[in-house]
Amino acid sequence: MSDAPASTRAGLETRSLTVRYGGLVANSDVSITVRPGEVVGLIGPNGAGKTTFVDAVTGFTQCEGEILLNGTPIQELPPHERRASGLSRTWQSGELFGNLSVAENLLVAARKGGWRTLARDLFGRRKADAGRDLVENALAVVGLEGVTDTLARDLTLGQQKLVGVARALAGGSEVLLLDEPAAGLDSMESQAFASRVRAIAQGGENGAGDGDGPGILLIDHDMSLVLSVCDVVNVLEFGKHIFSGTPAEARTDPTVVAAYLGAPVEATHV
Amino acid sequence: MQTYVQFAILGLGLGAIYIGLGTGLLLVHRATGIINFAQGAMAMWGAYVFAQLRLDGTLTFPIGSIDLGRRPTVLVSALIGLLMAVLLGLVAHYLVFRPVRHAPVLAQVVVSVALMITIQALVVLRFGPNNIKVDSILPEGTWSLLGVEVSSREILMALIMAALSGVVWAYMRFTRAGVATRAASENERAAVLMGFSPDRLAAVAQVIASVLGTIAVTLGSALTGLNPENYTLLVVPALAVLLVARMESIGIVVVAAIVLGAFQSIIGLLVTKPWWPVWAQSGFDQIVPFAVVMVILFVLGRRLPSRGSLQTIRLPDVAIPKLKLVPTLILLAGGVAALALTTGSYRFGITTSIIVMLLALSYVVLTGYLGQISLAQGAFAGAAGFTLSKVTTGWGIPFPLSIILCGLVAAALGMLVALPAFRIRGAQLAIVTIAAALAIERFVFNNYSLTPPEGNPIAAATLFGINLSVREGRDLSRLSFSLMVLVVAAILVFLFIRLASGDTGRTFLAVRANERAAASSGINVRMTKLIGFGISAFIAGIAGCLIGLSRGQLSAESFTVFTGLQILAVAYLGGITSVGGAVVAGILGPLGIIYVLLRGVFDLGAYYPLISGLGLIITAILNPVGIAGATREQVAWVRRKLSRTPPAEPRSDATTATPTPKEPSRV
Amino acid sequence: MSEITNTATEPLLETRDLAAGYNGVPAIRGLTLSVGPGEVVALLGPNGAGKTTSLLAMVGLVPPLAGEVRVLGEPLGKRKPHQVARAGVLLVPDDRGIFYGLTVREHLRLAGKKNDAQREVEVLDKFPVLRNLDSRRAGLMSGGEQQMLAIAKALLARPKVLIIDEMSLGLAPKIVQEMLPAIRELAKEDGIGVVLVEQHIELALGIADRGVILNHGQVVLTGAASDLLRDRHLVEAAYFGAEEFAADDEDKTLAG
Repeated sequence: MSDAPASTRAGLETRSLTVRYGGLVANSDVSITVRPGEVVGLIGPNGAGKTTFVDAVTGFTQCEGEILLNGTPIQELPPHERRASGLSRTWQSGELFGNLSVAENLLVAARKGGWRTLARDLFGRRKADAGRDLVENALAVVGLEGVTDTLARDLTLGQQKLVGVARALAGGSEVLLLDEPAAGLDSMESQAFASRVRAIAQGGENGAGDGDGPGILLIDHDMSLVLSVCDVVNVLEFGKHIFSGTPAEARTDPTVVAAYLGAPVEATHV
Repeated sequence: MQTYVQFAILGLGLGAIYIGLGTGLLLVHRATGIINFAQGAMAMWGAYVFAQLRLDGTLTFPIGSIDLGRRPTVLVSALIGLLMAVLLGLVAHYLVFRPVRHAPVLAQVVVSVALMITIQALVVLRFGPNNIKVDSILPEGTWSLLGVEVSSREILMALIMAALSGVVWAYMRFTRAGVATRAASENERAAVLMGFSPDRLAAVAQVIASVLGTIAVTLGSALTGLNPENYTLLVVPALAVLLVARMESIGIVVVAAIVLGAFQSIIGLLVTKPWWPVWAQSGFDQIVPFAVVMVILFVLGRRLPSRGSLQTIRLPDVAIPKLKLVPTLILLAGGVAALALTTGSYRFGITTSIIVMLLALSYVVLTGYLGQISLAQGAFAGAAGFTLSKVTTGWGIPFPLSIILCGLVAAALGMLVALPAFRIRGAQLAIVTIAAALAIERFVFNNYSLTPPEGNPIAAATLFGINLSVREGRDLSRLSFSLMVLVVAAILVFLFIRLASGDTGRTFLAVRANERAAASSGINVRMTKLIGFGISAFIAGIAGCLIGLSRGQLSAESFTVFTGLQILAVAYLGGITSVGGAVVAGILGPLGIIYVLLRGVFDLGAYYPLISGLGLIITAILNPVGIAGATREQVAWVRRKLSRTPPAEPRSDATTATPTPKEPSRV
Repeated sequence: MSEITNTATEPLLETRDLAAGYNGVPAIRGLTLSVGPGEVVALLGPNGAGKTTSLLAMVGLVPPLAGEVRVLGEPLGKRKPHQVARAGVLLVPDDRGIFYGLTVREHLRLAGKKNDAQREVEVLDKFPVLRNLDSRRAGLMSGGEQQMLAIAKALLARPKVLIIDEMSLGLAPKIVQEMLPAIRELAKEDGIGVVLVEQHIELALGIADRGVILNHGQVVLTGAASDLLRDRHLVEAAYFGAEEFAADDEDKTLAG
């Protein structure tokens, strides 16, 4: 999907991204970079502004600051054009098209409507199995089989999350933002999902060779998932970007631990 | 200047009615989240009961009536009228609105439109379609205001209604129930968690709204007499008032209602001035509410508060249509046979059914596939029909080209209406479209300088020398015309199936399911809506042309707002998501074959609007998939039973909605 | 205070092997817990673990798929959520359950029972700040003030069970540190059973009698709050996934 040549694949970069809801600052000065092939974690306690960040980057919330995709500013584009230029996302609540089959969910992402499509639909020739390859490839990437014609809402939650990822990848993606993809998965599913995420970023399962996969921003509460798959971890607290570093550093950083579990309170120690 | 003041004061009568209806709408919206399009119709019933009691002492019920012998006093009559309003409010709440309180907005809009059609039909049946005179409760008289003699009755009305609104305001502000209503309208779950039952609060609100509206209409109709259609549609300006008040402020409702009433009255004066353009004389006052609605919802793009209640029922599913040769041929052959074997009014009824099927199909595109609401489909059809009159008689454009051209005119109009749909949806879109439909009906179709009352003749169609006119000599329903209609309909259905089974249909369904997710999947949601509205209006426009051709000439009566709403009723009844549903709708539709049978065989034609309204209420509540959907489910069930295969059936509605997030999403 | 001793043997709120979720898919499974008069139970766990679902199921807002909820000794059955609230089981939801358009006075009016001015005095004594905000709209108050209003509102109805979801959401830790002990005190004084969902583990366990930790919809750890506080590594393992942190056991910089 992306028109950008490989040499300019700089991925996603936000510069001083700030989101205000009335008087409340939900994101303040968040600068995060996601390079192609890299898995970047974004974590923080509830209400820290993680989903707000994804909404702002993908165009569902107004924000200040700069958003660059492969070096091109995209903050003025409407959401569907950001998607078309290679920035895709999943939703915390899945948000599949429940009334469509899995295959159709993926085709929606791969084939856009419009007047030309309309003319082709009405008067053009039609191939019987159009898009079948695309659907199967996309499902293979996330490791789903045998659900092609199932209605999206009849899938298990785990499957829905995977279809969500497949849909975000269908039609090409430069940077993929995953919002709480593992919430609600059991620990087995969660682990399987972690290895998928790695593989997608490496581009291995795409059959296109190593290292040309999309950059992935992973938001999740499952710390073991985030810490095990991410190259870099960013931490938000009260909308502020309080930490950026490797998982090993995050684990031992006192501010991170305090943000997550609350600072130990002396008086309560027994 | 003096005359202007006098007219402004006269407009207070209308303003008083707007206060009553607007306050009621506001209260019901706050208590239930529903915009009650039937508010005007509900208010009318009690006023009619009052008027009839004063006329001849008959107490009229929906079924049956009691002759009281002599006419009761004004006070007694008015109290009986109000008692009816209370009962109607309770019935409306418990039988109509309560069952759909968790339904999608679409079902809520449909239910309230159905109630509106039903009450209006009932009034026509029980009290007659014509204007009846209403006793004035308030004395006539004049006051001198700043040296101008003005009518005192209108001022009194406005004062009374403003005072009653004040009482409602106090209820909302100072009583525990009123405060709880406000609380629940903001956060229903939190109110429940405090031990309040939103249901009971809603019942109270419905009753208050019904009573308030009834008082307003009873007072106000003394000025003009009661007329079923006009009073039902007074809900439109009242909705404009409601929007001005942002659905929140009763104070603004009162002020806006008075200003709107006075302004419309002054426009009534202005259009008689010699400098006013003749073409804009009639129906111009109806442009005002529409303009207000457009300015607020579209130009200002204000987000109006919506009531966040849990929605557990989905729109019915869509089965993606496939073109199967054999069933298609059987259906077509059946159509040809039915047309060939009938004559006269029965053939005409079948032909009308085919046309209504197309109108219903336009709803299938827009509502079934795209999930948008339009109450203006009748206006699109009418616009194309009237254009056809100009195009064929004025410019002499030949047949297939002429209707395609007019279809495109309708499509353009449809896309214009799609503009508000960029920003708003659901009930607010319904408000915009009904206001547009009313403005078009009054300002265009009823405007004698645009559409002469002596008729808008439409030249009969010919194709390759074949005469396709509907009548010739004594034959009032020629077969060649009916076959032409069948062919046109078949082509449109074919094209629809192509579209629905292609990328476009899938895009529509994606937008219907989830606009955010669609946008994040790269779909241009606005463009998709534009296309959907365009296609839908095109189909409606072609249907309008066929109606025109079947009549030979057009009058405004063919395309009233109510015609459009009735088509919505049968489309929903038949099944809003499938071609099969549209076919059922065609068979059931106004002036279609069932109607002809009801009239011809059972002599029940007069009950048709009532039956369709009631049928719609029941469908919207009990069976949102419509008759076609229910039949499909039954057929699938029988098939499973016969084949005894292990159940691979789709699960039932309630259990399969898209999973809610485990924990509510947070910022 | 005799009523406390009377009911002390019987839990005020109890779930037995409860499964609940949406659209037939359970978000929690096999949840068994009880809270007695004056007792504070902290329900902990990472996001998506099913804490909120558990609370909603306790008041009937999410129907159980299996097992049962017993309220004041009787099964929840078909009771509607507003009836559960009237029976004295009050949930303060994570959106705080307040109404931005209403003033503090209006909130108190809605919440209180009729002719119960004395209770209002008692409650406002606990949250004196609210006295000065009487005619302020809730939407214009700070997060901490809103949270106080939410709790005060619930207390006004003389609850028997108080369930609080994520009180600390969006609040500065300092405010939480003040409010949690206040709730502990209230539970003891009035014999209210309290269930707390909290992300601030230290603070929550600091005032709770017992802790229950959920992960992936199931109870993974339960115990006396003091034990859980002492064996913090167990809590961390339950939170972050055992395999990750087991290895880091000796690396005890975490607890500081």
